[in-house]
Amino acid sequence: MLAFAAAIAPTIRAQAPKPGSADWVARQIQDRDTGRDSRFDMQMRMFDKQGRMRERHLRLAGLRGAEKGERADRLLIRFLFPNDIKGTGFLVLEHPGADDERFLYLPALGRVRRIAGEEKQDSFVGSDFTYEDIGGRELTDYAYAIVEAAAPWTDPGGKAWPAWRLESRAKDPTATYPRVVSTVLKDTFVVVAADNFNRRDEVVKTFEVRKLQQISGIWTALELVMQNRRDRTRTEMSVTRAEYNVGLKETDFTRRTLEQDAR
Amino acid sequence: MIGVGDRLAPWIFRWRRWLTGLVVLGAVVAAPSADFTTLDNDMTAWFSKQDPVYVEYERFRQEFGGTRTLIVALEGDVIFTPDGLDLIRTVTREIERVDTVERVQSLTTANVVTALPETGADDAGGIEVNPLLPEKVDAGAAARVKARALGDRLMRGDLVSEDGRVTAIIVSFDESRIDEVRAGVIQKIHEVIDPRLPAGLKAYYNGSLEITESYNRVTLDNLYSLTPIIFGFMLLSIYVLFRSVTRTLLVFVAILTSVLWTMGLYTLLGFSYNVLSSILPALIVVLAVADDVHIVQHFDHEYRLSGDHERAFTSSVAHLFAPLLGASVTTALGMLSLATSDIAAVREFGMGAAIGVMVDFVLSLVYVPTLMGLVRVQRTAPPQERWLIGPLRAIAQFSIRRSGVVLATVAVVSAVALAGLTRLRVDTNHINFFADTHPLHQSAVLIDNQLAGIYTFQVMLEGPADSLKSPDTMARIERLERLLQTLPSVRKVVSHADYIKRVNRQLHGDRPDAEVIPPSAEAIAQELFLFGLADDGRAELERVVSSDFSRAQITVKMASHSSDLVFQEIASAGAMADQAFAGSDVDPSTTGSGKLFSTLDHYMVMSQLSSFGTAFLTVFGVIFLVFRSARFGVLAIVANTFPVLVILGFMGWLGITLNIATIMVASVTLGVVDDDTIHFINRYRREAAEGATTEDAIETATIHEGRASLTTAIINTLAYGILGFSSYKPTSWFGGLLALTMAVAFLAEVFIVPAVITRVRSVFATERVRAAA
Repeated sequence: MLAFAAAIAPTIRAQAPKPGSADWVARQIQDRDTGRDSRFDMQMRMFDKQGRMRERHLRLAGLRGAEKGERADRLLIRFLFPNDIKGTGFLVLEHPGADDERFLYLPALGRVRRIAGEEKQDSFVGSDFTYEDIGGRELTDYAYAIVEAAAPWTDPGGKAWPAWRLESRAKDPTATYPRVVSTVLKDTFVVVAADNFNRRDEVVKTFEVRKLQQISGIWTALELVMQNRRDRTRTEMSVTRAEYNVGLKETDFTRRTLEQDAR
Repeated sequence: MIGVGDRLAPWIFRWRRWLTGLVVLGAVVAAPSADFTTLDNDMTAWFSKQDPVYVEYERFRQEFGGTRTLIVALEGDVIFTPDGLDLIRTVTREIERVDTVERVQSLTTANVVTALPETGADDAGGIEVNPLLPEKVDAGAAARVKARALGDRLMRGDLVSEDGRVTAIIVSFDESRIDEVRAGVIQKIHEVIDPRLPAGLKAYYNGSLEITESYNRVTLDNLYSLTPIIFGFMLLSIYVLFRSVTRTLLVFVAILTSVLWTMGLYTLLGFSYNVLSSILPALIVVLAVADDVHIVQHFDHEYRLSGDHERAFTSSVAHLFAPLLGASVTTALGMLSLATSDIAAVREFGMGAAIGVMVDFVLSLVYVPTLMGLVRVQRTAPPQERWLIGPLRAIAQFSIRRSGVVLATVAVVSAVALAGLTRLRVDTNHINFFADTHPLHQSAVLIDNQLAGIYTFQVMLEGPADSLKSPDTMARIERLERLLQTLPSVRKVVSHADYIKRVNRQLHGDRPDAEVIPPSAEAIAQELFLFGLADDGRAELERVVSSDFSRAQITVKMASHSSDLVFQEIASAGAMADQAFAGSDVDPSTTGSGKLFSTLDHYMVMSQLSSFGTAFLTVFGVIFLVFRSARFGVLAIVANTFPVLVILGFMGWLGITLNIATIMVASVTLGVVDDDTIHFINRYRREAAEGATTEDAIETATIHEGRASLTTAIINTLAYGILGFSSYKPTSWFGGLLALTMAVAFLAEVFIVPAVITRVRSVFATERVRAAA
């Protein structure tokens, strides 16, 4: 969903939908060019319901990989701040048609541990974002509909962009957010805003892009906010450095790298 | 003061129709506002927003969410079967969709942390955070779920019973909205669960919200079912005693008018109607019956003597103005002393009752004699007069001749009552208010015995940012948890330290010896970070510790007990917390729904007790003002103390505690008792002033005022005695004790006052009264 992270979004090949249709828009979001690999330095500010802010600095590296002819992306997150979690690393290895593999390195324990059982709609490293928000959603897990064909989006600078309002309904009835209505820019297929609905069909989370910029020719969301209305929490993400196609390899995304690079 | 009644009587007679018109108009206007079928459930009806306990709870609630929950316990042998677990999953999801529901804890939402084994030299193993319930549950999976749930220290004995036959679904709500829609929401949850229950599985509902709602249900049920019976018995007894349909209807209309005026004014003043103010109509009815019976009786008597309406009217007003004013003012001031209470509901009850009493006073003087002028005159004395005069004369003569025996009996009864008083406990046990067969009682027994209990309170810890994850703080939390576990009623204690220990154990290959807090600050921080990585872990963590680790809570669950015991244990927990965190920069405090409600009960009983004390002093003061006589003030105190002592002693001997329900009887008791005494003393003094001997004055006062008191006592005892059969104990106590109060108050009036006057002639003899005048 997010421009910087859509580089690692999985792509499910299916019969090409009709241009302009909801399925086609969803496919374009997934397929837009986000580079072969990417590296971001980010600051994450998490506000709790009392308005207290915790800051985390992290480095996020992504690689668009493939297994058995299908997308199998890699993601490595390294925490740089605060000091008591500095060096903590998190590695996600996607496997088409199977559960993702996730590994965690805790410096205090000194060894890599496998983490299992987390869902796509789970919190991304304890923030208000989900893995799905960061890594994009499985195209076939949702049914799509255009709820508004002309829903222009005005960026913080006041510029109006033509956009669709796209509804994604989860096929899994147990999904935490069974319905998401996203604002998708028509000329770049970047998702710039979204409302996430709970099972009572109430908006519980709202996402918005506050700064959108082209970096190395790729549209990148540099400032993003996810607000949880129910919990009254908010996470702001700022990308302080973004690089695409820096030459990352499969070997940069192993358990050994997760452990060694932290030292 | 007596002269005021004489001067006022002709004026009221002249303007009686206009005044009556105003009374009727007022009742008609007030009637639509007098809606006492809708109970106000807002917490601020019970707590002042400035109350430190409420402020503390709100602060806690803002940080960690509300703790006023609905607990649903499912009991049966089919819980850990595929169908049983599917049912729990389905109802959990359905409840999550109910408006205002914030969180549902059940076997479905529970997560388990599992150690993953090492798979090779390159793999040190790992951990898995998974829902306890897999998506698809077959018989094997159900057995594994049972084993996991029973093997988890945090779940066992809390979410699931030791034998696996009981499991809890705990529902938390948005507490800023739940009180407005509570009945509907609870009903909806019943509708989600009850129709789905298979044979062999039973649902029990409890928790602070269910308790409060049960109160409301019972209050309204009583209102609908018992009010007609009370009025029916009242009308019947009035008819039997007066043998007149018109007088019966007249008294009924007068009582109804008083209630409408009181409740209308109560609503117009912006006061809310709640469980406490539901007593108001009963209080007004009791007092109105007493006042109206005096007026009717006096009016009839005077009319039969003079055959003149105006004389009967003015004589009734002139004679009864002072005693009715004295009785009303003393009761009203007693009630008004509640206006200083910290509890809004008590404050409003006090003011409402005071207004009601004074409204009834005005109505009795204006409205009742005017209505009496409209009804056919009774030429012959009514049965209450014929039947009661003989026995009352005999009582008067007995009290005079055997005053020593009377006072000795009073002394013996007082001694027995005093002994009972020493057994009287100030205590409110909400669950024991309900019969053993009541669903709330049964669910409390089940949850207390099989799970962690229905009450909870919290120890809130506050310090600088990050202080609540330091190794020193974690060690203190562990120490405090151990101390809290030593409290007799405590069943379960949980804090974020338990989560860290669980993660640490799983990170070390599920070794039991690794279920400890890691020694370094970094390890604690990283394990907390790990726990918060998953959504459920994060949500769980947010309920126990703030994101910046400046605040945390320790949840303490306990079995249902009397509020006083809960109050004491929370106070002990507070002391333990202070001790555990002495010398650190972390400040502990106790809060939570258990503290909220036990404090509320404590406040209510204490404010009533203090009001009761104030009311006693007020009685003396007002009687002094009305009669300008200190000695009769002292006599009134003696006569008023005895019934109160007897009632409290009786409660002590029967094991009925002084609680939020029975303490209301004390207020009503005082209102009734002092009325009787004032009427008697007033009549005695009047007779004395007119030259009667002490014996004659006593006999006249006993026959005339005692008759009215006895009539009132019979009417109210018959009407309210019926409440004694209610299965809801507070209602039963209220009815039974009120009936007893009426009887003892009457006995005090006709035995004690004459006996004291006879024994202390040097002070109370009529010639002394005349000399003093």
